[in-house]
Order: sequence, then structure tokens, then C-alpha cells
Amino acid sequence: MRVPFVLATALTQGDAVPQGPGFLDRALQALVDGIQFGAIIAITAVGLSLIFGTTHLINFAHGELVTIGAVMAFFLNVGAGGPGWHLIPSAIVAIVIGALLGGLIERGLWRPLRNRGTGLINLFIITIGLSLLLRHVVLVFFGTRPQSYREYDIQQALDLGPVGITPRDLIIVVLSVLVLLGVAFMLQRTRIGTAIRALSSNPDLAEASGIDVDRVVLVVWMLGGGLAALGGVFFGLTEIITWDMGFRLLLLMFAGIILGGLGSAYGAMVGSFVIGIVAQMSSLWFPVDLQNAWALLALIVVLLIRPQGILGQRERVG
Amino acid sequence: MSEQDEQALLVAERVFAGYVPGVDVLCGCGLLLGPRELVGVIGPNGAGKSTLVKAIFGLLRIRSGMVTFKGKDVTNLPAHTLVSRGIGYVPQRQNVFPTLTVEENLRMGTYLRPKEFSRRVATVEELFPVLAQRRAQKANSMSGGERQMLGMGRALMMEPEVLLLDEPSAGLSPRFQDQVFERVKEINASGVAILMVEQNARRCLQICHRGYVLDQGGNAYTGTGTELLHDDKVIELYLGTLARAR
Repeated sequence: MRVPFVLATALTQGDAVPQGPGFLDRALQALVDGIQFGAIIAITAVGLSLIFGTTHLINFAHGELVTIGAVMAFFLNVGAGGPGWHLIPSAIVAIVIGALLGGLIERGLWRPLRNRGTGLINLFIITIGLSLLLRHVVLVFFGTRPQSYREYDIQQALDLGPVGITPRDLIIVVLSVLVLLGVAFMLQRTRIGTAIRALSSNPDLAEASGIDVDRVVLVVWMLGGGLAALGGVFFGLTEIITWDMGFRLLLLMFAGIILGGLGSAYGAMVGSFVIGIVAQMSSLWFPVDLQNAWALLALIVVLLIRPQGILGQRERVG
Repeated sequence: MSEQDEQALLVAERVFAGYVPGVDVLCGCGLLLGPRELVGVIGPNGAGKSTLVKAIFGLLRIRSGMVTFKGKDVTNLPAHTLVSRGIGYVPQRQNVFPTLTVEENLRMGTYLRPKEFSRRVATVEELFPVLAQRRAQKANSMSGGERQMLGMGRALMMEPEVLLLDEPSAGLSPRFQDQVFERVKEINASGVAILMVEQNARRCLQICHRGYVLDQGGNAYTGTGTELLHDDKVIELYLGTLARAR
């Protein structure tokens, strides 16, 4: 894991209690890094949240959709035997492949299993198996060596007052926010988006209102697969591409979803940013290896105070 | 009977269905709903009233038997297909989309014909003025009675020929129960045939043209609303002895 320069120096100094004039700057820098990390978690977690909301499936294999997106883009970009395209078209094709893969898994696996009335716990165990399978297929083709994309690998950071950010990371943050806004717009204003929310809200009634539930779920899976692939490319760009990168991100995605309020796509977005920011800010005081632990601790604390999550709602009964 | 069959909008014949493999909740029951008719289905708890409506509406698989709508076989068609053919359904509980606004709930009613929304919403809001006042409000902030109105409003957005109501008065205060039955009568008077399942048997039979009494998944009795209201066996079994005093 690449540690931002400012943080790395902070750590080597071994400051347990930070002091001095540099602290505010370092905190701001950690905040910026956290927003960037949170944006990547959010992009991947939204799909996971929508899948859970519409089908109640806990998709343990969602991390692999992230990895496959990153690895596909890598293959198209610099892979041996690949076309050697520039990263941008490679990423676009990887997103399309991610969406198709999501759709294929839904069509070929989950829909038939649902129609046979397979229980949710059984489906959950199957997602764990699928995760393992996909992860090791990636391992066979990709290998254990971490890789990077050809373009945008090393960049000079832009100096924005107290904080520095590379143009690459800035664009990732901006693009992520735009994509998240796009998803929010789709959910809020379009017919299919309202149908997705209706399906999460009351599946039987959605069917009874004339909504073709299978079709909506297929759209959700394709959206989730595409977003996961995009998040994978971003994650691979900011850090490094490995065969298990998505799996390492999975727990943070779940944390973001639960923190934000289970079943709410906006909650997943907010929760993911909180998780990303807490993870990065924690490294101001604590070893960087522990940053995920602090993020999960934040999850526990929030749930103790607000069990329904940040945006989760209690419902009027009767 | 055959002449009546031809005229009937919705016919269910010898329906067998259930939730668990090998256990039938419905054992060969059937019913008939004519155009503009208001038909009630009553029966004790566990008789299969709600199950029958779910099976007719394609939410539960029919193992044997047949459902026809306007003379065409619609057995086991998915619910969204039946909606497009002109059947509306309001479930017993969870009859709204709680996290959606009232307007979005109604919009989902015309999911299959989004262009009809503005025309239909005016009619539905005229029938249920409370919905017009609460358009931007989330459905989960509404009371049970208001939700029932919203649920019926949503189902009416598609201008169905047949409306299936699953215990519309369940869990409502007596005042709201009265309101719901009034509205059901109004909707029926506007030309929509209604099949209503009710636990409030007496109130149901008072407004229905005909009724069916369901027992153990099969038809026990059938007759006009007033006939059943005064039938000794029905009183004994389902209406309670208080009804006999009248």
C-alpha cells in the first residue's frame, strides 16, 4: 500500500501525540486522502447496496467484480498479448465487461436459484464460493505480482495551499463524485431508478404494480458490475493492482453500507466516505496497518449510538 | 352456469396451491366474478382467503386448476403481466412503498404506462383527496387507513377492470374501516369489478353483491350477500352468535 509522503514522514518520526505547526496540514492532507479513498469505496459499495436492497442477497463476490475490472483494464492496457490500448479506452471496455459479467452472473446463477426458491443463507454461502472461485481464476491468469497501469503512474502533486494532490487523484475524486451524483439522479428522477427504489421498498408490491422485477434486478446487477469495475480501475490507479485487491476492499464496502444505513444507496455513499476518511485520518496517530481496524471501530461506535445507521430510517408502525 | 361463465370477467376453477411442497392450502376452491360485480370472500383464519387471491394474481404458484380472465387462460402468469391485462391488487399488509413519496407510489401504479400518469392521478386524487394533500410526503409517515387509501389509489392508477383487495379493513380503527368500505363501494360503483377478501365478514357481506365462504381451502357456501348474512350455518360458524340476535 502506497502511503502518501506526508504521512510516511509522520510515521517515521514516530509521533504518538502529534504536535507542532505541521499537524493541521497533515490532518488536511489525510482528509483529502480519506475523501479519495472514500470515493472509491462509495463507487463500489453503491452497487453492492443496491443488490442487497433489491434482492436481499449479501454478495460476498462483489470484491471480485472490483478486481476483475482492474485486471481487465490492466490486460487491455499493458497485459502480455493484450492490445496495449491507452488506459482510458481500456477502462471503458473494462466497465462494459464488468456490467456484462454482473448481468451474466444474475441471469445464469441468481435468477434460476431465486426461481427455485433457494434460501438467502444458501445464496450467501454460494456467493462466498463464487468469490473464492473468481479470485483464484484471477490468480491463475494474473499471478501474485502487483502491477501498475502504464499511464498516470507517477505524477507530480499539485500544490493546493496546505495539501497536495496529484492531478490523477484529483480527477478520480471529481469523476467519482460525478458518477455518484449520476447514480443519485438516476435513482431519484428516472423511471427505472424509482422502480429500483420501489423494489427495495416492497418487492411484492413492485411486482403487483406491474414492475418486471427480474428486469429491474438485471439492471441493478449490470449497474453494480459496471460501477465495481470502475472502482477497481480507480483503486488500481491510486494504489496497485493485485489479484485480491477487491477482496481487501470488501469489508470496507460492507462497513460503509452498514454505517450509512442498510438498504439505502445514499447511506452507502455517505457511510463509505466516513469509512475512507476515518481510515486515512487514523494514520495521523496510529500505524497505517491498523487503519481498517479504526474504520471498523468507527462502524461499531456509530451503530451503538444509532443502530439503524446514519441514513437508515425507522418506520411508523400502524 | 356456462352462460354465466362466458359473461364472467374472472373465473378460478378447482385451484390447488400452497406454500410448502406437498401441503395444499387451497384444495380445489373456485370462484367467479362478473363485470361490475362486488364479490366478498369470507372464512375463518387459515381458510386460505389471502392465499386464494395471491394464487389468482400470480404471486403464488397454482399446482392444478385454472384461472381465466375475460375468457383467456391466465393461470400462473406473472403478476406484472396481469396488471397490464387489467387486474389490480392491493395486498393486506405492506400495501405501499414506505420509503417512496405518495406521488412516487402513484407513479409506480402507472409504471407500465408512464404517459397516463397525469391524467389518472387527477381521477385518483379526486377519489382520495387525502393523497393530493400529501403528495410529497413519504408513505411511511402515513397511518394505516391512509396507507390503505394510497394502496387502492396506486392499484387504480392503471384503470383496472378487476380489483383484488386482500383484507382492506385489517388493522384499522372502526372509523377508518367504515371509510374503507365506503370507498370500496364507490370504486365498484364507478364500474370496477372487485373481489374482496375480508375477516370482517358481516361488514363485507353487507356491501357485497355475492359472497363465498371458504373453509379449509375449499368452498363451503356461496350465495348473495344478504343470503349469507342470514344463513344459519354461516352465522354459527363465521359471524358469531351476536349476528343471530339481529
